[in-house]
Amino acid sequence: MALTLLVVDDDDRIRTSLVLAFEDEGYTTRAAATGEEAVAMFERDHADVVLVDLMLPGMDGFECVRRLRQASDTHIVVVSARTDTYDVVAALEAGADDYVTKPFVVKEIAARIRALLRRSRMVGSETQPAALVAGDVEVRADEGVVLVRGTPVHLTRTEFQLLAEMAAAPGRVFSREVLLERVWGYGYFGDGRLVDVHVRRLRTKIEHDPANPATVLTVRGLGYKVQPA
Amino acid sequence: MPVGLRRRVTVAFAFGALLVATLLSTITYELARTYLLRQRESSAKRQAFVNAGFVRDRLQQGRVEVAPVLESLATAADSESFVRFGDAWYGTTLRDAAEVLPADIRAVVEGGSAASRRYRTSAGPRFTVGVPVAQAQAQYFEVFTLDELDRTLRVLAGSLLAAALVAVIGGAGIGHWVSGRVLQPLDDIARAAAGIAGGRLETRLPDAEGELGLVASSFNTMATALERRITRDARFASDVSHELRSPLTTLATSLSVLESRRAELSPRSQRALDLLGAEVTRFQVLVEDLLEISRHDAGVTDADMAPITLDALVLHSLAPHELERLTLDLSDAGDGTTVVGDKRRLQRVVRNLVDNAEQYGGGAVRVGVVRDGDHVRLEVDDAGPGVPPAHRERIFDRFARGLGSRSADNGGAGLGLSLVAEHVRMHDGAVWVEDRAGGGARFVVRLPVGDP
Repeated sequence: MALTLLVVDDDDRIRTSLVLAFEDEGYTTRAAATGEEAVAMFERDHADVVLVDLMLPGMDGFECVRRLRQASDTHIVVVSARTDTYDVVAALEAGADDYVTKPFVVKEIAARIRALLRRSRMVGSETQPAALVAGDVEVRADEGVVLVRGTPVHLTRTEFQLLAEMAAAPGRVFSREVLLERVWGYGYFGDGRLVDVHVRRLRTKIEHDPANPATVLTVRGLGYKVQPA
Repeated sequence: MPVGLRRRVTVAFAFGALLVATLLSTITYELARTYLLRQRESSAKRQAFVNAGFVRDRLQQGRVEVAPVLESLATAADSESFVRFGDAWYGTTLRDAAEVLPADIRAVVEGGSAASRRYRTSAGPRFTVGVPVAQAQAQYFEVFTLDELDRTLRVLAGSLLAAALVAVIGGAGIGHWVSGRVLQPLDDIARAAAGIAGGRLETRLPDAEGELGLVASSFNTMATALERRITRDARFASDVSHELRSPLTTLATSLSVLESRRAELSPRSQRALDLLGAEVTRFQVLVEDLLEISRHDAGVTDADMAPITLDALVLHSLAPHELERLTLDLSDAGDGTTVVGDKRRLQRVVRNLVDNAEQYGGGAVRVGVVRDGDHVRLEVDDAGPGVPPAHRERIFDRFARGLGSRSADNGGAGLGLSLVAEHVRMHDGAVWVEDRAGGGARFVVRLPVGDP
């Protein structure tokens, strides 16, 4: 089944070229020119991936991401003309899973998204035990469910996969590079801020006190680990 | 630091002090000397006349023995008396009166008048008084030694000289201090100008009063204008690059659509497509480099500093076909090559040096990561024509391509090496080019080792 992709960009030419290119990559592609249009479109018709430009007239890209994130755990990639820390981090905080900088190579992004979505569907298949327990947190990988003190918590697919990777080997330290590769499919040069922001977001959902985490811990200078039960 | 000015002010103060002190000392000395001499001379004359009167009285009483008269004179230790009585000379000492007494005084006294004179002998200054004693047909002479007075005057001169010296040193000291205070604002201005030149554009001078306040406010106005100008230029370059990114995205994306339909195109169209592709890539690199440079100029600090092992970074930065072609020298691989840096920027450093070797040196032949004390050296060697010494600094300037023998134009924009220099500087490192043993150039990046 073809993956569906929604392109949100106010530049007609970019939009048209992206639709052409992603269709070549086998995506069923639709396009919206504004954030409002994109949110309305998404509510009518779900998309597996949304590519959102941050510079939009009216509702800006950050707000658009926030709305989409509230409605769904679909994969959101923001497109930025800037690599400034503020823009990237703000977009990730708003709920984006990943970001790309203009100009980008469609083939690479298309391939990575496909691989990620395939992987996220396979989380907890043969290799991992059915349930992982770390502190108050229980990860039921096969069901794609996380329980905190017995209560189900809603995680995005990226957050879920990040937690599942670390919970599968409690006590082991995962460097940012390793997590970038396993969760995002990036190589050595992935942006470590992706991991940092997602860990932060994950903590606000599963930790009792996100400022003093008990489950997902930072290992200074090395990376992150899940505290063994 | 306006040393020259300060030294001049100090010297002027010292010279002024010297002038005043010399003048005052000279006047003081002369006044004191004249006064003391007059005092001494009049007391000597008084004594001589009293003694002459005594000699006259005794001789009038009919005594003809002069020697006992002389013995009973009230002479002090610093004078000697002589009496001429008839043709004979008598004296309180055994010295010969003809030798001791000046001839002119003797001549005047011979003529019947009293005389006195101060003069200098080999034994010291003397004052001689001669008095004719007419009633007794005698002459009385008394020679006074002025050694005591001479010593007093010498001590006075010494003291005055010492005082003058102290005044000169004091003058120089005051001059130094005053000029320091006066020139402090100039010093501040020099420091502020150096700060601005060093990139701290926000440097300003504190408000001051008077003429220097005018200078300070002019300086600050200039600095503000300069800062605004530089910021505007940097923002302009940044804005242009960002604006260029949108059309570039359309170009690159459309190109990829064409690429995937390459087989449908005629050979001529395929060649045109290749040209288009190469130029879009070059355009893209140029925009990225410009943006990176403008980021440096605007002082954007978005560095994501983390421990990075250089050998791993180098391995990941090189493409497979490059790894096949060149010698990789990672003899000090491991934690020893860990630096604290921004991975993306350090990757650009490696890439740009390797690309530079590709463009101008016929391709890199060796990439090395070598520990060097508390630094790590990243070395990129090529076997090309090398870089002549005259160009070794300038090739790190912006748009400096095509210098001397490195004139091959393969489409580089000339920003690569300047970006290397900027990035390396940001990491507190150094970059330079030297000769490679066996011909070619060796680019060396030296970075401080960070905590692993």
